[in-house]
Amino acid sequence: MTMGILVMATLLAGCYSNNCPLENTVTCNYGFYDTEGTAIYYSDTITVTTLMPGYKTVYTYRKLGNKTVTKDDPDAELVNQGYTESVTQQRKDTILLNQLLGASSMKVPMSFFNEEDTLILSYKSILLKDTIKIRHSSYPNVELPECGTYRFHTLQSVTATDAAIDHVEISEPKVNYDGNVNVKIYFNGVAVDN
Amino acid sequence: MMGTSVMTMMAQEQQTEVLMPGERPKPTKYVAVEEQKEHLVFFQGFTLSVDGYGPVAMMVSDYGTLEGALRLNLKNTYFPIIEAGVGKCSKDDFNTKVSYKTSAPFMRIGIDFNMLRDKFQSNRLYLGARYGISMFKYDIAGPAQTDPIWGGSQPFSVKDLDCTSHWAELVFGVEVKIFRNFHMGWAVRYKREIASTKSDFAKPNCIPGYGYTTDSSCWGGTYSLIFDLNWGLKKSHKRGVNVEIRTIETTDNGQRTTDSVPARENLQPTTIQENGTEERQEK
Repeated sequence: MTMGILVMATLLAGCYSNNCPLENTVTCNYGFYDTEGTAIYYSDTITVTTLMPGYKTVYTYRKLGNKTVTKDDPDAELVNQGYTESVTQQRKDTILLNQLLGASSMKVPMSFFNEEDTLILSYKSILLKDTIKIRHSSYPNVELPECGTYRFHTLQSVTATDAAIDHVEISEPKVNYDGNVNVKIYFNGVAVDN
Repeated sequence: MMGTSVMTMMAQEQQTEVLMPGERPKPTKYVAVEEQKEHLVFFQGFTLSVDGYGPVAMMVSDYGTLEGALRLNLKNTYFPIIEAGVGKCSKDDFNTKVSYKTSAPFMRIGIDFNMLRDKFQSNRLYLGARYGISMFKYDIAGPAQTDPIWGGSQPFSVKDLDCTSHWAELVFGVEVKIFRNFHMGWAVRYKREIASTKSDFAKPNCIPGYGYTTDSSCWGGTYSLIFDLNWGLKKSHKRGVNVEIRTIETTDNGQRTTDSVPARENLQPTTIQENGTEERQEK
């Protein structure tokens, strides 16, 4: 009987293996398309920032014939050089993606507890910026106890401005670690075959 | 006179032995010959079994079962079976601090097939299949989730998630007779999950009666204590075979005839009437 139990315990031990997801963070995947819906590599450099809760004090220094400088802390040296200082309150922000170049898609994290995320897309070739607003719900998920907890999201709506973007649409509302394209961004213009 | 005609007919229809010249006929007598024929009674009774491995596993690991089974024995070959029990799982992962808890009943139905050529012996080597189902609720909890970018934190605890799981099993096992109606045996089981209700929060990590869902298939086992029950069995069927009594009768003309009746007819010789019906003689 003891032998039988030992054999079975060995067999049962063989059940355990690590099947945790390869992705350890859950991100919303944005695919890039031209106006007609052809998948493209976007040639411009994109930086994505997001608005955070709360406000921050911003110090802006201007001088005729010089580039405007924006800083989070006051700079007495610039004032001594003849710059004019102006102090404003702005929403806090942070960079989620820095200078993405020639990509066909981007992965951007989503907030755990906010109902709406605001993404600001800055381009290198144009001065205007685009703002994408994503409404979503979030919930915890456990694949296996040994893998820990994740935060999944369900997209409800998405809107965008039209500086470089033609329109946006949700292609897969469930944001998890499956890696599907969740939001399609259709940029202005039509891809040209080289 | 009637007896002579009966014997003549029997001599024509049954095995006939002719005496050699000079051999005298022996006096008539009845000789009982017990012989096992290649014929098993269809219904061989029920067996009731309890699993000894599940409770041990429950004590020493995160998962275990308390289960029993009622099995039908058909010709010592086919064993339709119903297994039922309660499965309990309580797991706390040391690294992630995520805990999973469930305790619920489960049921399996299926059939075993005795692969031994000799069906008369009490030991068995069997192969079987099962369909299992469990409807259960499970709780899952973990450390508070903190948003690394936007900030904020929320505790994570979800209770009473409903789930119905279906699975299939292939069973291979042995069973030996220990004492009278008491048998013991072990079995290994290859289990494969067919379907489970999906929840947004967590998939069931452990299904009562199935085991861990780390993979889509799993191995399991049982160590059974088996008791033969004789419900609905006639006394003469308990041995699992028909015993045939053969009577040898010597006729006046020196021919010996044989006939047979089942043992349950209490060793009474049989004669065949002229109309072809059987008549058993009282001792």
